[in-house]
Amino acid sequence: MKKYVCNSVKYIYLFLGCLLIALPLYLTIANAMKTPQQLSQNFFALPESFYLNNFAEVISKANFFRYAFNSVFITVVGVALIQIIVPFTAFPIARRMGTEPYFKFLFYFITIGIFVPFEVKMLPLVKLMSSIHMLNPIGLILLYACGALCQDIFLMVGYIKTIPRDMEEASAIDGCNRIQTIWKIAFPIMKPMLATLLIKDTLWIWNDFMMPLLILNVSDKYWTLPLFQYNFKGTYSVDFTLAFAAFSLSIIPMMLVFIFAQKKIMGGLTTGAVKS
Amino acid sequence: MQKKKKAYKGAGRATDFLITIPGFLLYSFLFMVPVCMGFYYSLTDWNGVSKNYNFVGIQNYIKLFSDSRFLGSLGFTVKYTVLLIIGVVVISLTTALILNSKIRCGDFFRSMFFFPAVLSLMTVGLIFKEIYYRAVPLIGEWLNIEVLKTNILSNPDLAIYGILFANIWTASAIPMVLFYAGLKNVPMDLYEAASIDGATFWQKFKSITVPYILPTFSMVFILQLKAGLGVFDYIMALTGGGPGGATESIGTLIYKGAFEERRFGYAVAESIVLLVMIAAISLIQVKMTQNKEVNE
Repeated sequence: MKKYVCNSVKYIYLFLGCLLIALPLYLTIANAMKTPQQLSQNFFALPESFYLNNFAEVISKANFFRYAFNSVFITVVGVALIQIIVPFTAFPIARRMGTEPYFKFLFYFITIGIFVPFEVKMLPLVKLMSSIHMLNPIGLILLYACGALCQDIFLMVGYIKTIPRDMEEASAIDGCNRIQTIWKIAFPIMKPMLATLLIKDTLWIWNDFMMPLLILNVSDKYWTLPLFQYNFKGTYSVDFTLAFAAFSLSIIPMMLVFIFAQKKIMGGLTTGAVKS
Repeated sequence: MQKKKKAYKGAGRATDFLITIPGFLLYSFLFMVPVCMGFYYSLTDWNGVSKNYNFVGIQNYIKLFSDSRFLGSLGFTVKYTVLLIIGVVVISLTTALILNSKIRCGDFFRSMFFFPAVLSLMTVGLIFKEIYYRAVPLIGEWLNIEVLKTNILSNPDLAIYGILFANIWTASAIPMVLFYAGLKNVPMDLYEAASIDGATFWQKFKSITVPYILPTFSMVFILQLKAGLGVFDYIMALTGGGPGGATESIGTLIYKGAFEERRFGYAVAESIVLLVMIAAISLIQVKMTQNKEVNE
């Protein structure tokens, strides 16, 4: 009897949780397919027809593809840069920080940044970037590569330390030089953690709002999707169904990606994080 | 053999040094330089645009602690962070414990609860803003709950809970999978042994589960602490700091102070206070949990 009650409570909790998560998403997508009149009549109802004009209008009026392209460009290049810098920095640190002061210093120098809130560097950063004329996507990409270092180096160094160095030593004895060793032996070893960082950093850069607001708000040709959503709310406040269409256009691609890659995303985020 | 090992240690030392240089330079220039510039500006009265400014020493810091607006937003931010951490930990841990017990469709529920993690904070914030404006009052009428009948974001006492709800909605997702993975590490035979010895659910939780998930807890705690004390996206999306400054967080105060009100040096001083708070609390937390974790 007790077990039965206990199980019911569990399922009620899970169903309520699912309802709470699904309802906002349903409302967003359903209302994106209504006219303003239909929306004010009944906010909760299913759309009467498969009405796509709102989407068409957002895409055509607001230069949506340009912003989508900016987001994709910044995310892809930023993540690629991180995936190159992190292993090249983390590997020597992990292997040498025990014996050599420079690498030990570098480890603490970089990881101490985990405790620094973004607000501290945000204002000087804008001044610095504008003084070197970097208030553009390239500047933003460099900032992402730099901002990811603290946590990524911390995770990657921790990961490499759990792997014995036998293979690297063997390859060195067999006559590989250091670059060959890193390329052929160390990279494959680091792959699981690189996958974790790939997922973590992609989600972060794709969804980030504050850095684009600071660095890219100078011109609307640089806007990313989150920045577009933020600026969009002011422009079309009268035609509010358009706002829902704009939200849906940001949710639906993530839903599709999630449906196909959910195992990888969840697995990736946990392998990396739990160890540390 | 011994000789070869030694040769290996020396080999590639220069290469190792060289390949860390790009990371080192990038980090120094774009992270440490701004932080140091921040410390310096916090000691000046610079407004962010003019060519001249004066060095004023720690005057900004002295002024901060008698500034009712700063203290108000500090109070708001601390309250927000405490509630955020409690909310996220309770919800994600409860969900993980339930998902880790024997239930049907576990994979489906796990995916469902994780989904908010992939959405942008800005989008979620704006969606909840519309929902508080259009849907919640209707539900309030329907269930006849007085407080929900008006837009809770325009009520100075309730707006914080509106923001928190949206924040917890997304922020619980990743801690949930982290706790879930942590719970999978607990050896099952420990639970069985405890059951045979007649331990209650609470005793088992306290003595077996908690030590195993403590490292995960530390990480969740520090990440949420940083997110809560630095909260920005949700406030910009939901209330913009209103009504009447009731939801002004330190993050939005710094942003507005520097870019809208032209008090650059002062705003940077505010951010340094934030840094000291985060560093101090993190340090205490790390020290407190260090001795209690399970060492594998």
